Amino acid sequence: MRVLVGVKRVIDYAVRVRVAGDKSGVELANVKMSMNPFCEIACEEAIQLKEKKVASEVVAVSIGPKQAQETLRSALAMGCDRAIHVATDLRLDQELNPLAVARLLAKVVADEQPDLVIVGKQSIDGDNGTTGPMLAELLGWSQATFAAKFDVAGDGATAEVERETDTGTEVVKVKLPTVLTADLRLNTPRYPKLPNIMKAKKKPLESKDAADYGVDLAPSIVVEAVASPEARAAGITVDSVDTLVDKLKNEAAVI
Amino acid sequence: MHPLVRDLYKKLLTVGRDYPAGLDHVRDRAKREIFGRRDIEGEVDIKKAVRYGRYMLREMMGVIQLKKYRTLKARYAPSDDDEPPPPPPPASERR
Repeated sequence: MRVLVGVKRVIDYAVRVRVAGDKSGVELANVKMSMNPFCEIACEEAIQLKEKKVASEVVAVSIGPKQAQETLRSALAMGCDRAIHVATDLRLDQELNPLAVARLLAKVVADEQPDLVIVGKQSIDGDNGTTGPMLAELLGWSQATFAAKFDVAGDGATAEVERETDTGTEVVKVKLPTVLTADLRLNTPRYPKLPNIMKAKKKPLESKDAADYGVDLAPSIVVEAVASPEARAAGITVDSVDTLVDKLKNEAAVI
Repeated sequence: MHPLVRDLYKKLLTVGRDYPAGLDHVRDRAKREIFGRRDIEGEVDIKKAVRYGRYMLREMMGVIQLKKYRTLKARYAPSDDDEPPPPPPPASERR
């Protein structure tokens, strides 16, 4: 079974994002970038499948600028076998819409013929969370979103997935091939070992231009402006109970 | 420097890049701990010290993974007993 994993290069989760001066988006210059944490979980799941001998090959794919290759290298360091880079200069967090990503991934799936596609449930920059479902729809495959547990049946034709929903855990059975989107508690991503980071530099990485896939990449949603949330005003200390009661009555109007 | 120690130091710096306290903190601590053991002689004792260093390395990886999990849980799957995410910085700190 071949597994395709979609990874995205985003601003590191620990970085405090800043809005650019002209409000066109968040500042990307001189900001630490890394692999989207949910994509790391997706990667780990694919690699665990390979270690359980369920999967034979794990292919990582990333869409983005030239630097997305670094993200692919870290996926390779985790244990993926090879990588495909689809080059585009569009901004990943607002110009390249999930639909365009899903269309590109559908083309990659047509080339690679995987039996399973694993992506993160959402990226931490755009927070759309729609690429996985859209891809499943375009391919006509089954989909298992927000997966917290994934087991392929012995015959390799179906899989059992536990999904986390607001009301509890839902267990669904899906036919393979399927699109799986990874939730936070699917697994704990491993930390790449230093020798594996070195070995990853020699693993095959294929780079293709997004324009060659003949897909409409024009954004259907245009970001007009981005602003940071309003700062909360500082509170005050009242000196007596009477002032407190007075303020609650007259200013807050709650009693 | 013993090759095992050099290897350990390189590993510490690689992992230190993602450590919540920052690379500078990790580099300072690693240097202090390694140079503090400069008197250790004999292959067996050096290997023992390196084993301790590798244990610390695994602990650091654990801290990084836990921090990542907790941050994402607070952001995307909060439950009632989670601490709320930190408030945005005051306007004076923003650009």
